[in-house]
Amino acid sequence: MSIVPKETIEVIAQSVGITNLSADAALALAPDVEYRMREIMQEAIKCMRHSRRTILTREDVDGALSLRNVEPVYGFASGGPLQFKRALGHRDLFYVDDRDVDIRDIIEAPLPKAPLDSAVVCHWLAIEGVQPAIPENAPVGVIAAPSNGKDYEQKGGHSVDIKLPVKHVLSRELQLYFDKITELTVSKSDSVLFKEALVSLATDSGLHPLVPYFTCFVADEVSRGLNDYSLLFALMRVVWSLLQNSHINMEPYLHQLMPSVATCLVSRKLGNKAAENHWELRDFTAKLVASMCKKFGHVYNTLQTRLTRTLLNALLDPKRTLTQHYGAIQGLAALGPKVVHLLILPNLEPYLRLLEPEMLLETQKNATKRYEAWRVYGALLHAAGECIHDRLKIFPPFPSLQAQAVWKTNAKVITTAPNKRKASREPMDIEPPLKRTETDVQALASTSPSSPHMQEGTVTPPPSSDSGVGQSSSDGKVIDDGRAGSGVGKQKGDSQALKTSAILKQVWKEDLNSGQLLVQLFELFGEGILSFIPAPETSLFL
Amino acid sequence: MENLQTVNNFVAAYLKKKGFQDAEQFLEDLQNKDSTPIDFQNDPDLANFIQPFSRSEDDPSRYHEGYGKLRSWTFSLPDLYKRELVRVLYPFFIHSFMDLVAKGHVQEARTFFNTFHEDHEMIHLRDLQKLEGVVSQSHLEEMEFARSLRQRKVNVKICQYSYDLLLQYLRKTESTTMLAVINEHINFQVIPGQSSSIPDDAEVVSLIGDRQDVNQKEILWGLLEDSLEERLEKAGGLLSDSEKAEGETKEGDIDETKKRSVESGKQGASTKKLKKDKAVNATAKAARPEPTTASAAPRVNPELPLPIMPTEVEQSILEDLRKRVQLSSVPLPSVSFYTFVNTHNGLNCSSISHDGSLVAGGFSDSSLKVWDMAKLGQEAASSVLQNENDSSTSEHVMGPNGGKRSYTLFQGHSGPVYSATFSPLGDFILSSSADTTIRLWSTKLNANLVCYKGHNYPVWDVQFSPVGHFFASSSHDRTARIWSMDRIQPLRVMAGHLSDVDCVQWHANCNYIATGSSDKTVRMWDVQSGECVRIFIGHRSMILSLAVSPDGRHMASGDEDGTIMMWDLSSGRCVTPLMGHTSCVWTLAFSCEGSLLASGSADCTVKLWDVTTSTKVPRSEEKSGSANRLRSLKTLPTKSTPVYSLQFSKRNVLFAAGTLSKTV
Repeated sequence: MSIVPKETIEVIAQSVGITNLSADAALALAPDVEYRMREIMQEAIKCMRHSRRTILTREDVDGALSLRNVEPVYGFASGGPLQFKRALGHRDLFYVDDRDVDIRDIIEAPLPKAPLDSAVVCHWLAIEGVQPAIPENAPVGVIAAPSNGKDYEQKGGHSVDIKLPVKHVLSRELQLYFDKITELTVSKSDSVLFKEALVSLATDSGLHPLVPYFTCFVADEVSRGLNDYSLLFALMRVVWSLLQNSHINMEPYLHQLMPSVATCLVSRKLGNKAAENHWELRDFTAKLVASMCKKFGHVYNTLQTRLTRTLLNALLDPKRTLTQHYGAIQGLAALGPKVVHLLILPNLEPYLRLLEPEMLLETQKNATKRYEAWRVYGALLHAAGECIHDRLKIFPPFPSLQAQAVWKTNAKVITTAPNKRKASREPMDIEPPLKRTETDVQALASTSPSSPHMQEGTVTPPPSSDSGVGQSSSDGKVIDDGRAGSGVGKQKGDSQALKTSAILKQVWKEDLNSGQLLVQLFELFGEGILSFIPAPETSLFL
Repeated sequence: MENLQTVNNFVAAYLKKKGFQDAEQFLEDLQNKDSTPIDFQNDPDLANFIQPFSRSEDDPSRYHEGYGKLRSWTFSLPDLYKRELVRVLYPFFIHSFMDLVAKGHVQEARTFFNTFHEDHEMIHLRDLQKLEGVVSQSHLEEMEFARSLRQRKVNVKICQYSYDLLLQYLRKTESTTMLAVINEHINFQVIPGQSSSIPDDAEVVSLIGDRQDVNQKEILWGLLEDSLEERLEKAGGLLSDSEKAEGETKEGDIDETKKRSVESGKQGASTKKLKKDKAVNATAKAARPEPTTASAAPRVNPELPLPIMPTEVEQSILEDLRKRVQLSSVPLPSVSFYTFVNTHNGLNCSSISHDGSLVAGGFSDSSLKVWDMAKLGQEAASSVLQNENDSSTSEHVMGPNGGKRSYTLFQGHSGPVYSATFSPLGDFILSSSADTTIRLWSTKLNANLVCYKGHNYPVWDVQFSPVGHFFASSSHDRTARIWSMDRIQPLRVMAGHLSDVDCVQWHANCNYIATGSSDKTVRMWDVQSGECVRIFIGHRSMILSLAVSPDGRHMASGDEDGTIMMWDLSSGRCVTPLMGHTSCVWTLAFSCEGSLLASGSADCTVKLWDVTTSTKVPRSEEKSGSANRLRSLKTLPTKSTPVYSLQFSKRNVLFAAGTLSKTV
């Protein structure tokens, strides 16, 4: 009958010391309790409204009680919601979990920090009806036609003032700013000033009105300046900075930006001369694309699927050039190991079969082509290595502490700061040393071939006692052959995985997939590598 | 035979009691004509006829059945009449429910309520929430809302045909319970003609009966005679000529002198203030040529003895009026926003002085804090100058721990401060509190001057009159009171609201005050006689804010749901509702010439509405259907800051204040 069950009344009666409350009395009291509660809540809501709040607090309830000349409820002054616990043995009985507090603890506790004193700050919410773009104001939404006024005109029919569809006024300061930035981007992208400009783009708050113009600018310049490597790089940096800016919502402009960015990733030719390091640009753009997907994937849910489809098409089309393939692989790899696992790995085997002839001296006489092929190979290796690294991380009981350390350092070497450098160096390192003389590579390659490898060799502690031999031998290899860091990492990962597999069968079973994947990868990449695996591991593996 | 006689007597008594005179007459005739005993046991027709009556009158299921049938019948009607009769269902519903409760059938009442309440939830949600808790006779008597419902009759406007339909149905089905509800609680006002001719506003079914006569009273909504605006208009041509001659260079000088006179004492205005004034000046010049719109308003004599204004103040006001920006739908105002920070959820209200230089905040810890915005700017400036002049900083109020406070703290209340208001000249502040008192503070002396005791419950709102000296307050004790600064007893007590009086506002000519209440009505009271002169019905929830247009012709009220309603004071009708806000409308303000309405809401926006189009429309056109002419001009979102108060300065700069609330 009433929303207050009579059991509640009985419990309350017991709590105040009335043990022999008859069922009839409880039944009669219940509706009245409900009525009083509603009454108190109604008054409390009034108090809440007059305190200009929309959330009811305990002060409001206390205020309501004092309005009705009822003693307020004491003891609920502490902040935070009450914790109700279920009484043992009762399904629907709850009680407030009231901890005993030692008075000494309170006395001895250090004084809490004094709250900041209230203050008033002043800003312009609007100047003659236009909201200035300052941090104090809410970020302005997308610039849209004033739909409100138009609706009325259509409906009313005899409204006098007619508004133009879109009226978007750029202040003079903003125009100057835009001109300056575009000028810097086009002409002086290597100056210190341009770096300052990028910082400004990434941090300034009032740039929202300029975003559509920047979007247009980037799209125009990319389509025009495909031969100008430094311009493209500068443009990508501008996009990157705009994305970093927390005061700007880029989402509405992504569809305009994405084609130009994708162009910089998978275009056939970026820059004019072969000497220009378009690989670096592709790597940077891959990172950019990945950050875009990460930032806007949840609001713009088709973004990543569309992008991956484009990239995959580029990758799987054998007619495309190797540079395009490289861009596609880097783009997919930047989107994360999951994407690599789903999209690249299934296609790895046929692809490598195609790639192999390009890489060999006998079949591909053109040194540039061969170099490109090795770049692609390196990128693939890197992507696959990242992926398998990620898979292996999943093994729950796997991390004997040292092994983790190994992986951490590996990951660092592969992914972070020197990434671009590394990626560019890696493929060259992959090449057997005898070929290196033939391919007259840039200065890059000749400078100390393997600082990362050295690092790795020194950092790696022996994962477990029995692999000590293998460790030393692999170190030796790294030095004399200079196989890619990721390759070595993979070996170790492999050996680690195998060891765990011996120890923890059930985990192995759980992740049988990744185990198989590992074997598969091994077969694809590892023909050369296999011979370097130390005897105990090989035997285990076989 | 004797048995039959008692039955006859019983029937006759019943018919008499229920007021069915025709039937009674008929029965009498029947008895006289045909004295032979009626064999009602064997006569099936008669048995059927008698049966519903002979059932115990207390049978609770009759309400359920009767209402259920009526409801399904109503819903099967053609659309045209359904619309009308579905509205009529509501009084049937609430009275059936209350009858059931009154007769003690609580269980049945609950079932009845739960079965049918959904039909009315959309329009009457809040009433239903109140009624839902009523479970016994005593509650009915105790609860103001239920009592007023049961004591008064509901007025229902209905067209002739629908009325006939309804009566026909009720006769045919012999649902006496429903007839009883009609007889006891509903007052039909049958309107000839088609049902479509009845306006589709909320007052068709009005639960409060006495408004009909109230709204007929004459109301003098004109402006005061010999006001400054009027004087300015008279002298208008002359002044503008001389000003043109003054030229650009002198403009700055005037500005300075004006400020000195207004803020006399607070020297050295902030750089910000200066900038503001310059901006205003620029626009003022641009928009000068238009004539003021208030000229059309008729003039009335003041009923209150008005305080005399010092001449220098008068001069400065005239100066402001001349520099005022003409606002309309095209030139929108500049909005300066004062954000309260670090209030720790304790800010209950805020108020801005008429020139925007002082901001007051009332806190739930009983304190009232006043910030001088001119000094704040000065402080910032002096810190830029690396505190060159230490003498100025030493003047600031020192906090208890030696720290410098940026505000003046007024302590004296013993409960949360719910409202604060500045006198027109900014030298006094009034604050009202939950401790049932109103306190008068001086901003010059930084001290409490008077404590006004009179209300018995928390005072929700207090407002200075436009001329100062007098003020009005409203309270939980369901009254509004008029006070003057020099007396500690109220001058008038306005009683009549059925629930808390939540907000109060003065009419532009000081002869009336408007009050908004939790009973969802706005009332207008004559200050001189203390009588209620208007009741405005139409809101669906508690009224939180009021504003009267500067020409005195219109009033705006905002409620808890975010609806704003524009009322025509002379007719007592709603001009149009302004929909747009999604949460409580805390504050409303008209621009100085009445062309714009600004509203501030808990949904963190300030909205500007164009109200000129509506007010200029002649009556006849308004009725012809295209009533929805008010439109939202601009929505200004704040950064998660609910807007607590709005104030147009005399130069039409809009000041807004709110507290930054972090949504975690």
